[in-house]
Amino acid sequence: MTLTQFLVLLLPELVLTLVALVVLGLDMLWRNGNGSRHLLPWIALAGTVALLVAAVLIWPLGSTGGAAITFTTGKDFGGDQTPMMVLDPLALFFKLFTAIVLALVLLSSGNYVRAHIRFHGEFYALILFAGLAMTLSAAATNLLMIYLSLEFLSITSYLLTGYLREDERSTEGAVKYFVYGATASAVMLYGFSLLYGATGTLDLASIAAVLTGSVIPVHWLVYPALIMVLVGLGFKIALVPFHQWAPDAYEGAPTPVTAFLSVGPKAAGFAVLMRLLLTALPGFQLDWISVLAGVAIVTMTLGNLVALWQSNVKRLLAYSSIAQAGYMLIGLVALAPEAHSWTTGLNGLLIYLFAYLFTNLGAFAVVIAVENHTGSAQLDAFAGLMRRNSFLAITMFLFLLSLIGIPPTAGFVGKLFVFGAAIQRQMIMLAVVGIVNSVISVYYYYAIMRQMFFGEAPDAPPFDEGPGLRVAVGVAALMVLMIALYAEPFIRLASDSVSLLAASF
Amino acid sequence: MAIEQALQIFVFVILTLMTLGGGLAVVTSRNLFHAALSLILSLAGVVGYYVLLDAGFLAIVQLLIYIGAISILILFSIMLTRGLMTPRQVQRNEQWWIAALVVFLTFVVLIVALWQMVWPIADDEALRTPNVAISQLGEALVGPYAIPFEIISVLLLVALVGAIVLARETENNQGSHAEAGSSE
Amino acid sequence: MLIEFIPVLVLFALATAIAVIALVLPAFLGPRRPSRAKIETYESGKLPYGDARYKVPIGYYKIALLFVIFDLEVIFFYPWAVVLRQLHVFGLIEMGIFTALLVVGYVYEWKKGGFEME
Repeated sequence: MTLTQFLVLLLPELVLTLVALVVLGLDMLWRNGNGSRHLLPWIALAGTVALLVAAVLIWPLGSTGGAAITFTTGKDFGGDQTPMMVLDPLALFFKLFTAIVLALVLLSSGNYVRAHIRFHGEFYALILFAGLAMTLSAAATNLLMIYLSLEFLSITSYLLTGYLREDERSTEGAVKYFVYGATASAVMLYGFSLLYGATGTLDLASIAAVLTGSVIPVHWLVYPALIMVLVGLGFKIALVPFHQWAPDAYEGAPTPVTAFLSVGPKAAGFAVLMRLLLTALPGFQLDWISVLAGVAIVTMTLGNLVALWQSNVKRLLAYSSIAQAGYMLIGLVALAPEAHSWTTGLNGLLIYLFAYLFTNLGAFAVVIAVENHTGSAQLDAFAGLMRRNSFLAITMFLFLLSLIGIPPTAGFVGKLFVFGAAIQRQMIMLAVVGIVNSVISVYYYYAIMRQMFFGEAPDAPPFDEGPGLRVAVGVAALMVLMIALYAEPFIRLASDSVSLLAASF
Repeated sequence: MAIEQALQIFVFVILTLMTLGGGLAVVTSRNLFHAALSLILSLAGVVGYYVLLDAGFLAIVQLLIYIGAISILILFSIMLTRGLMTPRQVQRNEQWWIAALVVFLTFVVLIVALWQMVWPIADDEALRTPNVAISQLGEALVGPYAIPFEIISVLLLVALVGAIVLARETENNQGSHAEAGSSE
Repeated sequence: MLIEFIPVLVLFALATAIAVIALVLPAFLGPRRPSRAKIETYESGKLPYGDARYKVPIGYYKIALLFVIFDLEVIFFYPWAVVLRQLHVFGLIEMGIFTALLVVGYVYEWKKGGFEME
């Protein structure tokens, strides 16, 4: 591989890094009172567009098969040339995914940042760096690289969570997030070390080769390693019982950061989970499927039941996102070996993630708009929203329908695919628990709807959400409808993205 | 050879006493400052392990980073925090026995697993000549591990930014509302 | 091998022995006749005042944080510097990128007043 090829394959990551550095540099250059400072979010936004363009440009290189990204200097380094990353359909999907997450978060954060945040340039740069970590973790094929990129994402997330230093809840949330995260990643690293000890390699595909070709019994080591790895990734995705950090971190973090946390690290965690389990441990499928099935059931149920008692919308959406991760996990549990069927489970997971991205970020954009105006994210802040800002109320209604999974919304398509996969694999129990939970969730989503449409707020004036938020909410609402009404291209994208992973399995 | 083996076992026992004893003191000491000092003892034991395992570079890194820098940071943060210097910290809460149970079960599972496992790498030729030269490390760092190497520098840049965001008292570079909003 | 570290072990043993001797021996041999002047923190020196357990300004914490990060960066120079000549231009460029990002961080700290004590 020549240097040019190497750099071309890394183009999206390079572009993103460069733009983040530019934002950081301009923040230093444009001192206090400089009129150009308001350009910073737009430069960051341009960076996400550049990421999108770069991903599309190199799409043909990775969409047909995986292109391993190996760095060679023309010198022989002892024959050890294991690739760190790969450019395959899954990695490309998550580059696209990351660009959309970043764009929506940046669009909806403008007014909030001006009102609450002290270090503007750093905030935008850190969001971009968190996106970089997401793309890296989705493309990593080496345990070292996986650990490094997940840790990169975690550290950036801790910083963003504790960004409001004067706010005690923000600091508290960041500390809880950090302590849980440090423990979980230490446990995960121990699991990686066991895998390395058992196989002598860090490369995911080689681990699978060694494990399947092994004459000695390896399960003694793989079982503890598997559990430990699941602890670390379960923390990132906020699966029960590794979810305790989520409500406090989500409530304390600046709301745009909460929006990012509810989608970004979750998606990265799922990307790594899929790649690691399917590439490195396919021979232990029966073991991890049974563990994950149990985790999915507990996650859905607990997330939904606790959400019933919440009166803060950020906290409510935190528990709701825990439950949503449980539904997504069904897709991985119910993965089907036969690729010709309409739902392979894995494609359901990706469709669900894609639908969830627009739904949840849209819902959080509405929360940000309400919080900007009322200064509160309590349920009663939404009272009479229909009269005060009908655009926000109607779109929020749409997002909540999508979170429940009622047609014609994106959430319905996602649920159809994951529950469909479960039924197809005869995992009726999982599907039933999922559907019952969806019904339970109606209750707390309805609490928000009731406030918006029937809540009494006599002296609350109408308000305007501002252009950035309007675009973010509008685009998210449009996509929620699009995925449901013109589902075909999105389903094809998801199926193509997992094709290579499913084929290797 | 026998002398060296006896010496190895002797050193190993001392290091284990240091590491585990230090670790135990960290979680039981009622004085947080003493706990932090015990942590240094524990980390120093790990330096010895690295030496025993012929990982000289890692031993130096452990010494410089963990003992030289991170322990100091921990000591600083204890001294910075009001009330943490007084030896009245109780390290147990009502859930301690659950934690102890989980730790014990994890220990048993790991012992069984590590005992039962036939380590494939143990009879590898590489293990008999394990002295990884620091030059090999340098070559690996810019060769196959070039991507992680550069990512580490980005990560450290993020950490630098984070240090300012989290630990800077006031700012001289931002809009005026920040001064008005700060409550320090 | 381990033999190379025997001097370290000897030093370790000596240091421990001297510390133990210096603490234990005087307790048995020395006469103990404390007086007010003798038990002062700085005998024949400055009179201590205030409490030793006061709150240290947060500025020190920031300096310690920066120290940890730069310390970590420097560690990566060691293995690279050993094989600098064998790596040719590539190694130099790679370390150049690594260092450039470090410099960005350094300039950032400087501009934001990270090196000033408040």
